[in-house]
Amino acid sequence: MQEPLNPTAGSDKLRALIVDDEAPARERLRRMLEDLGDVLVVGEAANGIEALQRCAELDADLVLLDVRMPGMDGIEAARHLRLLDDPPAVIFTTAYDEYALAAFESEAVGYLLKPVRREKLERAVRHAARIAGPQLARLAEQSQLGRRRTQISARLGEQLRLVPVDDVLYFSAGQKYVTVRHRGGRELIDESLRALEQEFAPDFIRIHRNSLVARRYVRAVERSDEGQLLVRFTAGDEALQVSRRHAAEALRQLRTGQ
Amino acid sequence: MSGPATAPDRRRDEPRDYFLPDFCEARAVFAIVLIATLVGFVLSLARQPDEDGFWFDLARTTAFLLWAGLLCAAVLCRSRRWLAAKSLRAGIAWALALLVGTVGLLSAAVFQLGHYWLARMGAMGSLLPASQWLFVLPNMLITAIVGGLALRYFYVTQQWRRSVELEARARIRALQARIRPHFLFNSMNTIASLTRSNPAQAEAAIEDLSDLFRVNLSDSRTQFTLEEEIELARTYQRIEQLRLGGRLQVRWDVAGLPPLCVVPSLLLQPLLENAIGHGIEPLPEGGIVDVRGRLEDDQVLLEVSNPKPVSSAPSPRRGHRIALDNIRQRLELVFPGRSSVAVEDTGDRYTVRLRFPRFEPGPGSAWPGLTDTMTLHS
Repeated sequence: MQEPLNPTAGSDKLRALIVDDEAPARERLRRMLEDLGDVLVVGEAANGIEALQRCAELDADLVLLDVRMPGMDGIEAARHLRLLDDPPAVIFTTAYDEYALAAFESEAVGYLLKPVRREKLERAVRHAARIAGPQLARLAEQSQLGRRRTQISARLGEQLRLVPVDDVLYFSAGQKYVTVRHRGGRELIDESLRALEQEFAPDFIRIHRNSLVARRYVRAVERSDEGQLLVRFTAGDEALQVSRRHAAEALRQLRTGQ
Repeated sequence: MSGPATAPDRRRDEPRDYFLPDFCEARAVFAIVLIATLVGFVLSLARQPDEDGFWFDLARTTAFLLWAGLLCAAVLCRSRRWLAAKSLRAGIAWALALLVGTVGLLSAAVFQLGHYWLARMGAMGSLLPASQWLFVLPNMLITAIVGGLALRYFYVTQQWRRSVELEARARIRALQARIRPHFLFNSMNTIASLTRSNPAQAEAAIEDLSDLFRVNLSDSRTQFTLEEEIELARTYQRIEQLRLGGRLQVRWDVAGLPPLCVVPSLLLQPLLENAIGHGIEPLPEGGIVDVRGRLEDDQVLLEVSNPKPVSSAPSPRRGHRIALDNIRQRLELVFPGRSSVAVEDTGDRYTVRLRFPRFEPGPGSAWPGLTDTMTLHS
C-alpha cells in the first residue's frame, strides 16, 4: 500500500481513495486519475475493511470501490462509508457482473467497467455523488452482493468502529439508538431493530419488542422466580427478558434451530 | 482391452459407430460361445428330459447352437461394412435376412448330414424330425425372433451409448466455454495496466492468455499429455499471479508424474482455477495451493488442495461442483470404472484427488475404453 503522496498539497483537488484487491488494477486507476489533473490520489486499500479505516483517516472526497473483494465487498463497504460524518462520493468498479450492473443502472449509481476508459472515468468523476442509504440498501438487495453485512459499523467520533456480526450477542433498542452488545463490549448504532431483524434472520431471533438475540450465543432460557422467561448467553452474565407476546415463537425458533 | 496398437489397418476403415458390434472381435466371439452354451442349457432343461437323455440332449443342442451362433457372427462380421453402407432400415432387414438364411442353410445341411449319418448307423429315432421342413422352418422362425430381438438390443444400446457420448462431448464444450468472463476481463485489466508499467510482462501475459484460450476455444483436441496439461495449468497460474501477486502461492510437486501419459484435456487447469477462485481469492491475505502428482501402482494420482475460507455467509459452491462432475464424467468416459474423483474437506483445507490409469499410447493408437469414437479428428 502506498502512502498518500502529500495530502495537504492540493487542497483544491478532489481527494480520491482507490480500493481494489488487485495491485495492477489500483496502479492503472491511480495513473489515470492523476492524469486527469484535478484529482489527488490520497491512498489505496486492498479490501473493504481497509478502505473504511483509510477513508476516515485520509479524509477522502471520492472512493473508487471494486465490487468484488475478499473480506468485505464493495457494496457493503459503501454501506458503512455512508455513516461517516462527511461521507465520500462513491464510484464502483467491476470487471464483469451482469446482475450487479443492472442494479447499478436502476439506482443511477456511478460504476465503471474494468479495464476503465479514460473518458468514462473522467465523466464518472465529474458526476460522482454520494449515494443515499436506502438507494444502497436496494442496490445490495438487487445485486445479491453485500445484502447481508458481515460487520456492523458504529460511529466513534470521526472514525468507524466495526463489529463482526458473528461477534454480536444481541441488539437492544433504547430511546433513540440501538445498543450492540458484542464479545468485545457495547456500541451504539443508528439503525432500526426491524431492519436488523430482516437482514440477519434466521441467525437472530426477536424475543421482545426491543431486543434481538443471536441464536449462536444463547446458552439457556430460564424461568425467573417471578415467572418471567429470561435468555442467558454463553458470554457475559446479563439476562434478557422474553416478552409474553414473543415467547412462543422465540422458543420455537430456538428449539428448531439448534 | 483390445490392444489398439496390435490391430492395424483393417480397423481403420471399419464403420465406427454402426449399431452392429464388430463380431470379429475376440470379445464378441467369446460372448457368443457363452450365450450359445447357456441357451443350450436352458433349452435342454426346459424339455424336462429323463436322467439319461439330458446330457445327450444338452450336447446336441449346444453343438447346434454354437454352430449357428458362430456362423451368424462370421456372416455379420463379413457383411458389416456392406450393411453399414445401407440405410438403417435396409441394413436391419438385410441383417435379419442373412441370419435367417444362414440358419436355414445350416439346418438343412445338418438335417441332410444327420440323416445320412443316422441311416448309416442304423439308429433312426427321435433325434431328428421325419421331414426336413419340420426341422428347418422352426429353426428359421426362432432365428427370426431371436435375431430381431438381438438387433433391437444392439440398436438401443448403440443409441444409448451415442447419447452418452454426445452429452459428454457437449459438457466438454460447455466447460471449455465456461472460462469465466471475470477471469477474461480481470486479465485484460491487468494487461492494460502492465502495458505502461511493464511492457515485457504485458507481452508475456498476452502470450499466456492466447495459449489458454486456444485450448479453451478448441473443441477438436480432447487429449493432452500430462506434460502439456501441467504446462497449461502453469500458464493459467502465471496470469493469476500477475493479478493476485503475493496472495497466490502454488507449490508444485509433480516430478513423479510420467510426462507422456495421456489424459483428457483440461483436467488440471479447472481444478487450479477452482482452488484459486474459492480458496485464495476470498482470503485477504491469500494462501497456498498445493498441486501434487505421483504414480501409485501404475495409477496416476493428481491432487489439488487449497485453504478453505471460513465465512459466515454460505459461499456459492455450485460452479465448483459442476467442474468436478464434469471431470468425473470425462474420466469415466475414457477409463470406464477405473478412475475416481474424491473430495476431502478437513474444515480448513479442501482437497480434490483424481486417480486414473496410466496410459501411454504408442504412435497412432487410440484411447482405451469406450473411446475410439472419442478420439475424434485431432
